[in-house]
Amino acid sequence: MLFPTSQFAIFFAIVLPLSWALMSRPRWWKPFILVASYVFYASANWRFCLLLAGITLWNQGAARVIHRTEDDRRRGIYCAAAVAGDLLALAVFKYYGFFTQDIDRLLQGIGLGLPLPLLTIALPVGVSFFTFQAISYTVDVKRRVIEPASLLDTSIYLSFFPHLVAGPIVRAREFLPQLASPRDPTRVAVSSGLALIALGLVKKVVLADFLARAIVDPVYAVPQAYGAPDALLAAYAYAAQIYCDFSGYTDMAIGLALLMGFVFPQNFRSPYRATGLQDYWRRWHMSLSRFLRDFLYIPLGGNRGSRLFTSRNLLLTMVLGGLWHGAAWTFVVWGALHGGGMVVERTWNGRIRTPVWLRWFVTFNFIVLAFVFFRSQSLSLAFTYLGRLTVWSAPTLWTVPVVAAVVLVIGLQLLPGRGTSNFEIRIGRIRPVLIGAAFAVLVLFVAATVPSQGVAPFIYFRF
Amino acid sequence: MPNDDSLMSRFDQEGLRRFSARDAVVAVLFCMVLLVLFAGASVRHAGEEMRPGVGRTVMLAVGNPAGWIADQLPLKALANDATHWLSPDVNLGSAGGGFTTIATTGTGAAATGVGVVTPDAFDPAALGQAAPRPRPLRRMLVTGDSMSQPLDQDLAQRLSPKGIKVDRDPHLGTGISTTFLVDWSKEAAFQVRQDHPDAVVMFIGANDDFPMPGPDGRQVACCGVNWAAIYANRARAMMNIYRQAGAARVYWLTLPAPRAPVRQMIARVVNAAITVAAEPWASQIHVLDTVPIFTPGFVYRDAMTVGGQATIVRLPDGIHLNDAGSNLAADAVLAAVRRDFTIG
Repeated sequence: MLFPTSQFAIFFAIVLPLSWALMSRPRWWKPFILVASYVFYASANWRFCLLLAGITLWNQGAARVIHRTEDDRRRGIYCAAAVAGDLLALAVFKYYGFFTQDIDRLLQGIGLGLPLPLLTIALPVGVSFFTFQAISYTVDVKRRVIEPASLLDTSIYLSFFPHLVAGPIVRAREFLPQLASPRDPTRVAVSSGLALIALGLVKKVVLADFLARAIVDPVYAVPQAYGAPDALLAAYAYAAQIYCDFSGYTDMAIGLALLMGFVFPQNFRSPYRATGLQDYWRRWHMSLSRFLRDFLYIPLGGNRGSRLFTSRNLLLTMVLGGLWHGAAWTFVVWGALHGGGMVVERTWNGRIRTPVWLRWFVTFNFIVLAFVFFRSQSLSLAFTYLGRLTVWSAPTLWTVPVVAAVVLVIGLQLLPGRGTSNFEIRIGRIRPVLIGAAFAVLVLFVAATVPSQGVAPFIYFRF
Repeated sequence: MPNDDSLMSRFDQEGLRRFSARDAVVAVLFCMVLLVLFAGASVRHAGEEMRPGVGRTVMLAVGNPAGWIADQLPLKALANDATHWLSPDVNLGSAGGGFTTIATTGTGAAATGVGVVTPDAFDPAALGQAAPRPRPLRRMLVTGDSMSQPLDQDLAQRLSPKGIKVDRDPHLGTGISTTFLVDWSKEAAFQVRQDHPDAVVMFIGANDDFPMPGPDGRQVACCGVNWAAIYANRARAMMNIYRQAGAARVYWLTLPAPRAPVRQMIARVVNAAITVAAEPWASQIHVLDTVPIFTPGFVYRDAMTVGGQATIVRLPDGIHLNDAGSNLAADAVLAAVRRDFTIG
């Protein structure tokens, strides 16, 4: 059930009033919202609910055991076992094919094949997101940042439908306190919520899907058929598309949660405005960056060591961050490029004085080029794509709407001041009914841009 | 509430949590009411497109009254007039009569009621005669439903460097047995008029289990002989369009056995119907049987040996081919194409 569909609109129109009607009675509200979230997830495939429930029970059990254990060493062992279980589930459902095919072939080259049967395993939607959230819960209990919640609260935390399938990755310490007492029905950011949903809808359906159809999908599918002008524009268009697609989803998720009285962390802050890679990762998929920093980079030792040690940690963090996105070498290379770039950036920082515009220019174009690996279906196609950037042929896909959409998406992020990142704050004081009416008109126009095949799935659904 | 870089307090800092839950519910329901008045029919339409199940029942329970209300008001037309220019879909209105005309009249029957066999029904190679000299391939159309992906990319990646234009036109979620999203008869006419392909590669049938109207107008459910006959008539009409009176060659792939038994039943009927549909033009319509390649004996398998290595060739859904499987299908297509055309 995608957010921008009639099915979800009906679902939400039923859930929202009931949620507020029951909110003052947590004994009723909590089972209700849990069932609603599982119904939402079951619409993709009811079998996936078993995995979600299994992950919930596993981590809840681990959190309880860890909490009861005083000895730090044993707490660490229990926590490691719980995280290993989570990662095993992720490995089986997300990376099994990668290990049995790609890694196996690599190892066969040196006479070390993996004795694993070839199986096709369906990727449960959102598994990377709820597994990471479960890890954050267990580790935060181990670190004594939070107390274990009740099984019902943990279940709601992991399955809450606005963030279930594609984030943002909401940490237990950010969400569980919001379950401790009923949400205040007199303090709801209604207009901001509606504005965010509207903004997300436009980003996803109007901009992202249009760019995908008009230029990105054709060029990335068959880069051999296009020359440098089309390949170049498609590279920038993909940067615009993925931003609109993912931040559009996040906007909708945050907006839906706001209407229900919950606050999610911010996930994007004009990322293409970054003047360095470190800056970029503080603006792009911020909830993942924070997760990688707190649960991988810092435990690895962070920057508490030699320059080489820090570089190793950076590279490892970014490569694993890349692999989190998908079981493919293209994601590994994308992560390694970012890791390597950050190592270089750290080495050069302060040694060479460069103007801000040059730092922005280099950073932005590095990000765009790295996305070629992220988007390509294989490494060979990625290299073919890069090769086409050097082959001149007349542009065939340059149209005014495509160029305008790319310039609009990237250019708006570069505006001085707050840019567009605080749209919901500017709109947030207008009367909700007016926003509701404007939203209905907007939906009519947005729906007209949807092709007969419907809205394309969000890019991050497959992660 | 933690005060960290997750910016959890941003809405409080800006004083935006200033409305009530009642405002939220009223605003959302007001928006829904407006949408029902202006576009209630599209909810009904979305429900009708869904496969039978709880989701469809719920959608229609809401969509039918919403659609009825919208039908009674002039607002639907108003909204349509204001927004229709934004649609990315091609208007197929002028691309022939569509399947509705085929369902009532049938195709290929002569006035005497006996189908006339023409020389086109014979493949010279099958008669042991010399095949016509291959001609250069200039333009290929790869189309179908989701089965045609990523085959379309594979073929385009292989042929584009040789100067052959490959038009990829997949229509996901469509089928020959349903005209909800695309009427394939109209679509075929439009594609031919637009692209004039020398070769057409068609891979379709993953969604084909919809009831179709029979000659008497009654709905015929999948998957008996009556349904197969209607399906074959529709497929034959498409083949006739794609072959462009003999100027083009069509390569129509059958469905490899899917994993689910219920889907296997559908695939068997679709494959049988395709084979029958192509009979009048065996020299121009080549049915490429993927069953022996991927699922010998019509027995499903995830993996097979490719280049001496066990390789997964299907996607986890047990229906579609993955990249490796698609690669093999592309080999089969190109082997057939090379008998009719020179490449590069």
